Amino acid sequence: MSPDTSVERRVIHIISQLVPVKPEAIKPHHRLREDLGMDSVASMELLSMLAEELELDVGVEDVADVHTVAATVALAEAFLAKKKVA
Amino acid sequence: MSVLPHVPTDEVAGPLCAEVTRFAARSIDARAIDRAGAIPAGVLGGLAELGLFGLTLPAAHGGAGCGLLTACQVVAELARFDRSVAVTLGLHLGLGTRGLVAFGTSEQHERYLPSLAAGERLAAFATTEPQAGSDLSNLATRALEAADGSLVVNGRKVFVTNGGLAGLYTLAVATPGLGGRERGQSLVLVERGDAGLTVEAEECKLGLKGSSTTGLVLEDVRLPSSRLLGEPGWAAKGLAHILSWGRTLMSAGCVGTARAALDKVHGQVAHRRQFGKPLAALEVVREQVALLEALTFGMAALVDEVARADDEALLGRSLAAKVYSSESAWRVVDGAIQLHGGLGFIEDTGLAVMLRDVRVTRIFEGANDVLLSHLGAGELTRTKERAPLTGAVGLPLAGLATKADALAAQVEARRQELLARYKVGVFRQPRWMHQLGGACCWREAVDAAVRRAAVSARPEDVARASLLTLRASAEVSRLLEEPAPRDLVEVALSDTLPFPEVRP
Repeated sequence: MSPDTSVERRVIHIISQLVPVKPEAIKPHHRLREDLGMDSVASMELLSMLAEELELDVGVEDVADVHTVAATVALAEAFLAKKKVA
Repeated sequence: MSVLPHVPTDEVAGPLCAEVTRFAARSIDARAIDRAGAIPAGVLGGLAELGLFGLTLPAAHGGAGCGLLTACQVVAELARFDRSVAVTLGLHLGLGTRGLVAFGTSEQHERYLPSLAAGERLAAFATTEPQAGSDLSNLATRALEAADGSLVVNGRKVFVTNGGLAGLYTLAVATPGLGGRERGQSLVLVERGDAGLTVEAEECKLGLKGSSTTGLVLEDVRLPSSRLLGEPGWAAKGLAHILSWGRTLMSAGCVGTARAALDKVHGQVAHRRQFGKPLAALEVVREQVALLEALTFGMAALVDEVARADDEALLGRSLAAKVYSSESAWRVVDGAIQLHGGLGFIEDTGLAVMLRDVRVTRIFEGANDVLLSHLGAGELTRTKERAPLTGAVGLPLAGLATKADALAAQVEARRQELLARYKVGVFRQPRWMHQLGGACCWREAVDAAVRRAAVSARPEDVARASLLTLRASAEVSRLLEEPAPRDLVEVALSDTLPFPEVRP
């Protein structure tokens, strides 16, 4: 993943709407729950908001192993690539 | 980080509960406690003499080494006599000392457990803050590391149960930077005598008036690093375990309250005459009493199962036990008042204090609205399948097992439908998550009730489990098939209804 991609910026922007953390303080290695304080519902809501914003067809089973900001970005990029191919 | 195994203590629970009953019947007067707004010192001393403050504390440090199950049975029994007393003990055994027992160092154990076990020092637990109730991710109370390695704590905690009685407080605080975690949270132990700690005045509450509830103000409270409980910056896992104990013990208290209300109902319907007959002879009354008994049977069965569960299962199932027990206890006490007619509204009858006391159980230990969302989210991401009851229980209950499985299938069908329709977007549908969470509570209670009836094989238990299953099926259908009509939601959320301005 290249650093500071537009997808990364969008992910960080959404996270900053869900938890009281400034966007500049959110880093790719941060874990959604332990480092950013998101509970199980909030972390799922993040993925849900991202899928809606980027118009991605993401199922619940796809997000089971997404625990960090970087993994969230990777998931979004993978689905964007899939969308492009389709 | 290790969690002590639950000790099977069935063999001590029976005789111990009998002793608790004798003590409570002799010494606890719920109305007097309610009027005085405090538990007499003699009652707390009596609990200490019975060894109850050390019930779940390790035997090596003066406790009895019992597990959650025995603690639940004792708390339920005490709640039959007075909920404030049950809450005071339950909080000490659960939220108050569980973190210390499970995650404390040997030095912390040696320093605190003997006095806690003896009841010379009570324990309290503080997470809630003026701006953060159920949201633990947003703590404003901070412990910052000083140059000498000590921690300096500043902030305010509110609604601290046992706050005015406790000698030791477990606090959840934000610890930015500690343990290498920028936004970490930690648990810290604060002693009553620590400089900078102020225990605020007792709150004036709707109920649980004998239970102490205060705020705590922390102004530059300096703690040695040895006061950190568990891994620095990593409170989340510890908190989950501690909260699951707290929720389960609180649910056990609801069982006791419901049983106390039912005791009064039985006396009322046997003796009170209407239309020339005792109330118990009226079909409509019998039906209502049977339903209250069925709800209570479900509560007891669910709490019993959850209290026996391993740590992993305890985390999820304690949510359902808490929501189902608190909502059902509220229904049972309200139903008991209704069956008493005007007498139910009179303080001397003893139901008014129960209603006031039980109301907060739908709020504290996680507001039910929040927990329902968590239950729904947990159900949507669940990977483990529910074990069917058909085939697992004996032939006499085969029909009942089929009905319980049908109820579970109804919940599963809705789960699959939501996943297919919304995909990951389902987590932005709070109403659906709520509904699914509510349906899960009924399913959990029914499953536990059927299993319990299968074990006891008593005809009255089978009948109660059957009635609960019928009622739950109706409730689940209502929940899943009759969401609030779209028109109603549109009006409720429209701009035409005045609503306070939302400030960022």
